[in-house]
Amino acid sequence: MRTEEEFYLRYYTGHTGKHGHEFLEFELRADGRCRYANNSNYRNESLIRKEMTVSPLMIKELKRIVAESEIMKEDDKHWPRRNVVGRQELEIRFGNEHISFETAKIGSLADVQDSKDPEGLRVFYYLVQDLKCLVFSLISLHFKIKPI
Amino acid sequence: MTLAGEAASGDGVRRKGRGFQTPRDGIRSDAQFDKAESDERSTGRAQRSIEGWIIVITGVHEEATEEELSERFADYGVVQNLHLNLDRRTGYVKGYALVEYETYKEAKAAIDAEDGQEMLGETIRCDFAFVRPAQNERDNRGRR
Repeated sequence: MRTEEEFYLRYYTGHTGKHGHEFLEFELRADGRCRYANNSNYRNESLIRKEMTVSPLMIKELKRIVAESEIMKEDDKHWPRRNVVGRQELEIRFGNEHISFETAKIGSLADVQDSKDPEGLRVFYYLVQDLKCLVFSLISLHFKIKPI
Repeated sequence: MTLAGEAASGDGVRRKGRGFQTPRDGIRSDAQFDKAESDERSTGRAQRSIEGWIIVITGVHEEATEEELSERFADYGVVQNLHLNLDRRTGYVKGYALVEYETYKEAKAAIDAEDGQEMLGETIRCDFAFVRPAQNERDNRGRR
């Protein structure tokens, strides 16, 4: 049971507007492969695609963060729908659970409070921030670039 | 795949969410991704980063400080960079730290000395943060 538990995590945030399809996306696999893509057409900035492999200890820590958030218990059923401002996606495969949540972009905690499922959306909101924080640290240390 | 809401499929995996209905593109494509790979043979599976070697420390107490960590890890070499990220909800330390050394030797010494040690009553674990992809994974495109 403890051997090679299924794990995959992907986060996407983006929109299509006057600068085309602009998005930020990253994924981490159980084997450590971590990919990051950021496409901003603003001021002719181009697509950034980075790939790195993190160690098993790093993946273990990521799993801990996901498990402690209890995101797998939530459901996006009552979360704000994607709209013209854009969308966010969080896909996580954890053992035999697989979520792929989609919701609108969340500007602040006020958006969370005003939603139909503030408890669930709050879990999503903070987990996404913690994940971004971790991935941005990995990218800035490994590649010496500012991820955004 | 058009799964609405929660559903158990034939493979025994419970899938949940609207995201299963959106097309797969972007990061899941087979496009070329930039890597910082080197072929140094003397450093085991560890992967060098652009400016040095990054180690990860887990089990870091929520009240640990940057000062404590950088002082402790300065025993093995000059700490070039330290990331001690905070839990966005509580404001306390999330539980991990990333430390950068200039040389493999320093990073390895820190890992060998600190892995399994105690810090603020917690057992910390230490290893390289980045590794070279496994040989059979190098050309393995897509996922599973």
